[in-house]
Amino acid sequence: MSMHLAPVRRFLRSLVAGRRRLLAGPLAVVGVAVVAGSFLFGLGGTSSATQPKVSTNKATITAGENLYNAHCSSCHGIDGVGGRGPSLIFAGAAASDFYLQTGRMPLNDPNDEPLRHHRWFSQHQIVAINSYIAALPKINRVKGSGPGIPEILPLCPASESHNNSQIAAQQAKGTAKCVTLSFGQHTFALDCAQCHQIAGSGGMLSKGFVIPTLQNASLDELGEAMRIGPMPMPKFGTGQLNHVQLSAVARYVKYLQQPAHPGGLRISGFGPVAEGFVGIILGLGLLVLVARLMGTRG
Amino acid sequence: MSTTAERRAADQRQKLEKAGLDFVDDRFGSSRWLQSAMDKIFPDHWSFMVGEIAMYSLIVLIITGIYLALFYVPSGAEVVYHGSYKPLDGQTMSEAYQSVINLSFHVRAGLVMRQVHHWAAIVFLAAVCFHLCRIFFSGAFRRPREINWTIGLLLLIIVMLEGFSGYSLPDDLLSGTGLRVVYSIVESIPVIGGWVAYDLWGGAFPGTTLIPRLFVVHEFLFPLVIVGLLTAHLAILWRQKHTDFPAPGKTETNIVGSRLWPQYAIKSGALFMMVIAVLCLLAGFFQVNPIWIYGPYTPYNVSAGSQPDWYVGWLDGALRIMPHWEFRSFGVEIPNPFFPGILIPGVLFGIMFAWPFIDRKIYNDEGPHNLLNYPRDRPFRTAVGVAALVFFSDLTMASGTDLIGNNLHISYERLIDILQYGAIIGPIVGGIIAYKVCVALQRTSAHPIQKPIGGVIVRGADGSYHTLGDTDHGGDHDGAATNGHGAEDEHLDGEGDGAGNGHGRPAEEETVGAGGTSGASAHSAGSSPPTDD
Amino acid sequence: MSTDQPTTGHRPGPEPAGPHYSEQDHGEQEQLFDLPPSTSPDSESYHLDPTHFGIEPGEPWPEDVPRDQDDTWWRYRDDPAGARKAEIKIAFMWIITLLCGLGLAVIYVMGGDPQIEGGLLALGFFCLGVGFVWWARDLLPGHDVTASRGHHSQSTEAYRTTVVASLGRGLEPIARRPFLGKALGLVGGVFGVCILFPLASLGPRLHNGLAKTAWGRNTRLVDENGRPVRPSDIDPNGILTVFPQTNPGDPQGATLLINLGPASNDYKPPLSRSTWKIDTPSGTIVAFSKICTHAGCPVGLYNTIAHELVCPCHQSTFNVLQDCKPVFGPAPRSLPQLALAVDTDGYLVSQTGYDQPVGPGYWGRG
Repeated sequence: MSMHLAPVRRFLRSLVAGRRRLLAGPLAVVGVAVVAGSFLFGLGGTSSATQPKVSTNKATITAGENLYNAHCSSCHGIDGVGGRGPSLIFAGAAASDFYLQTGRMPLNDPNDEPLRHHRWFSQHQIVAINSYIAALPKINRVKGSGPGIPEILPLCPASESHNNSQIAAQQAKGTAKCVTLSFGQHTFALDCAQCHQIAGSGGMLSKGFVIPTLQNASLDELGEAMRIGPMPMPKFGTGQLNHVQLSAVARYVKYLQQPAHPGGLRISGFGPVAEGFVGIILGLGLLVLVARLMGTRG
Repeated sequence: MSTTAERRAADQRQKLEKAGLDFVDDRFGSSRWLQSAMDKIFPDHWSFMVGEIAMYSLIVLIITGIYLALFYVPSGAEVVYHGSYKPLDGQTMSEAYQSVINLSFHVRAGLVMRQVHHWAAIVFLAAVCFHLCRIFFSGAFRRPREINWTIGLLLLIIVMLEGFSGYSLPDDLLSGTGLRVVYSIVESIPVIGGWVAYDLWGGAFPGTTLIPRLFVVHEFLFPLVIVGLLTAHLAILWRQKHTDFPAPGKTETNIVGSRLWPQYAIKSGALFMMVIAVLCLLAGFFQVNPIWIYGPYTPYNVSAGSQPDWYVGWLDGALRIMPHWEFRSFGVEIPNPFFPGILIPGVLFGIMFAWPFIDRKIYNDEGPHNLLNYPRDRPFRTAVGVAALVFFSDLTMASGTDLIGNNLHISYERLIDILQYGAIIGPIVGGIIAYKVCVALQRTSAHPIQKPIGGVIVRGADGSYHTLGDTDHGGDHDGAATNGHGAEDEHLDGEGDGAGNGHGRPAEEETVGAGGTSGASAHSAGSSPPTDD
Repeated sequence: MSTDQPTTGHRPGPEPAGPHYSEQDHGEQEQLFDLPPSTSPDSESYHLDPTHFGIEPGEPWPEDVPRDQDDTWWRYRDDPAGARKAEIKIAFMWIITLLCGLGLAVIYVMGGDPQIEGGLLALGFFCLGVGFVWWARDLLPGHDVTASRGHHSQSTEAYRTTVVASLGRGLEPIARRPFLGKALGLVGGVFGVCILFPLASLGPRLHNGLAKTAWGRNTRLVDENGRPVRPSDIDPNGILTVFPQTNPGDPQGATLLINLGPASNDYKPPLSRSTWKIDTPSGTIVAFSKICTHAGCPVGLYNTIAHELVCPCHQSTFNVLQDCKPVFGPAPRSLPQLALAVDTDGYLVSQTGYDQPVGPGYWGRG
């Protein structure tokens, strides 16, 4: 990677000390804008599952088993039968991937609510553990399987807007091959907003359980969470949210992470409470300051 | 120096002015009134401007409101949206909601107008509450201004309802949830609740007639009432003249400040411009009420963390912290929302309406007043006001229990417990603290006109005791004179130390009452003895 | 009044106190505008015109209105250069306002942008306002004037008596012959109530509207896309919002289906409700009204660990294992339960409607 550094170095030096130094400022702005813009306009284009997250390879499964025994079996038991923590036999790769990617597991105390944390394992290790968990029913010689990692359908391209009613009908029937933000919003409002808040900022359940914000969730994590129902969240099987609905919700939540906000700063998306703070402290505060400057202080 | 040319120009101008005024006077006989109007004096204290801030916010609301009303469609009929905001494309919504989405996305300058209107409402109510507190804590509601106090309270209530009806007009998920709660509160009124709810909504919730009716209420009925009450409010203020804080030179029978013309009119105009500027700043840079994120209202959808706008938050909080009492027997029922939604606010506002008369009894003070109180001089009233503020703050905080819990990781069960106790204990503790602070401030700070509490005794060098104000002891009369004291001045000032040091002979001085007031000498220079009230 | 004390007798406002003229002290400076001779400091007998100070003609000059105040004073009255500088400062501010206005016009033509529009409006009005403030402070008179409040707020006793007489002209005859007064009272009352009757047209007759839902015998449960629901459609620990097929839009009819999953063994309903649930291999399925019994919000949050339904509006908490009894919060009554059955095609149906009115309470609910 060190091949073309010299000319780059010369260029950078010229920006600082040479005839191009006047360019440094505007270039920096452009650079930041390009980087920021690529983030802003990058939504909808990413696809899920760029690399396989589960493997049936024996070596991978064995590696996963070793990791599991070292870090998980103390609560979840050998072969995932359970113990202080719940049984993982039918947890499925979706659960494994979700809990490990979001750093919810390993958990220090089984009584704590598992919340987003930094990731403990590397991607390779997670793939290994996923594969092991997916293989648990076979290892325990029982029928059935846990939920696999759902593949999220893409957003319908804008050019197909003339097919709107056709796409809408397909989505309602569950046969669509792409999803729209509108269908996602509609489904999200009914099934998710009462807990996660209409803008995805989170909320509060009984008994002190925090409902997390959706601001940081990846597409995969969204799909997995819906299918596994990580306690205390309810589980949404295919009978409640078919694959099209699930994909639409996931795509819409990604939109909510960077929603249109033509009106200005979002003030955290919490709603009227935050707006009231700004209005009183900034709005009335500025005006009272003006009054103090204009009036007397007898 | 004015030249001949300037003098001639001035003559011309005055001829024109006289011609214009004569034209009007021929028809209305208005000269005397105009003269007294232009000469009118308005005191300049900064806190008196907050009422104006409220009034100018109202003017902004009316102007932007008229603009918005030209785009808003007051109809609950269902339509399917096919506009440029993709996340709502193809969804069913009311025409009202669609018209507000269109205004926000498809009308040039529409969104900024909408946001100015909403921010103006938020700032308007904040200014009204600040103004209410200023009137209360300074005792401006006392005779002869009790009726204006009543009008002001009525304005507060109507304006709260006006704001609520206004943000409910877009028929979005958040405000629709608020309407559902209000329907239940109305329903809970004993005997007539169901009928009143049915009449207002045209049937069971949500019905189809509420949006057009809310439009009439918000655009027509309430604004008429508000403008009418505000006109009365200002007319009474005009007639009775503004109150003022006591200071040397100010009495019950004079008024000190700026002339209406040109000074106060121009300054007030400047404040108007500033109000518009701040509201536009908020509207341009801070998003408010993003209804496209909330989505259209359906009665089976709801968002976590639903709250009303801040000025209705106390009502929502009251509903949350109310214990689950309900009165049920003999086939009739007084449902739970009645108590926090109607009964408690009714009692509280009743006390507020009656306050001028309560205050009169407490302080045994029937006389008219044009001079205000400093809050520290009426510790009990200040304590009651602080207690009320603590109570309403507790309730307002309670409207965000899920948000606070989510951010601070506290369960809402614990939070609501704290706020329930806080609603009772908080006001009492707050009131006691406020009382003590007032009394302490009275005793210890250099109050411009407050006489010390109790007598002030100083010990002379020869060991004798005397009361300050005696002119035959240690008297450096010149020193006293240059400090601007007359014989009647009882302010604490050290004697014998002509440097104006307010502490005299510290080692031997025993003082009872107010502390050193070396700064007081500057304040007490004046032509007339200050009156205290 | 001695001359070495501040003439207006009180603390000056934010602008520095300027020179105050007294009878002895007037120079050759002339006013830039003319005033009636008696209020001009140039006049030989400088005294204030009482009408401009709230004093009625003929009344003695009050003690508390200083006689030597000069309300024609303004900051740069004696400093034309300073006045010019002040004017230029104000003009500069107003030029910024002008530019903002032009900017607004341009941005509108170009398509509009809320941030730029808000910013330019704010800057424009701010500079306009600052200009006004400087104008008033530096170039206009009328600061710190003391006047009398006058007696306007109270009339003399004589007037008060004549007012009573005028009022009595109309009221006395009625008081002496009470028939007309009583008649008016009765007629006004009854007539007034009668003409209010059209208010009742605002809403339909109350009857049972508040209590009824569209659920009845064998009404199929459908999801929000109109599809009927089978017991196997709900995963353990899963929830689903369902509606009566006969009227999917019924706002009172929204119902929450819950699969109790691992907690099914802990669910022990009373005998009268033992047939209201559906037992499946994945768990027991129950259905409750989604309309909160407190203030009517949809109760959609389900805590799968504590098996509690939570209403997001005011945090009413209902324990599903105890037939949705309220265990926290202001809700006073349990959520009504819908009795479930499975029809011959395997779809979930309601046995009957709800056994009680759903939603919040009202006077005649009992």
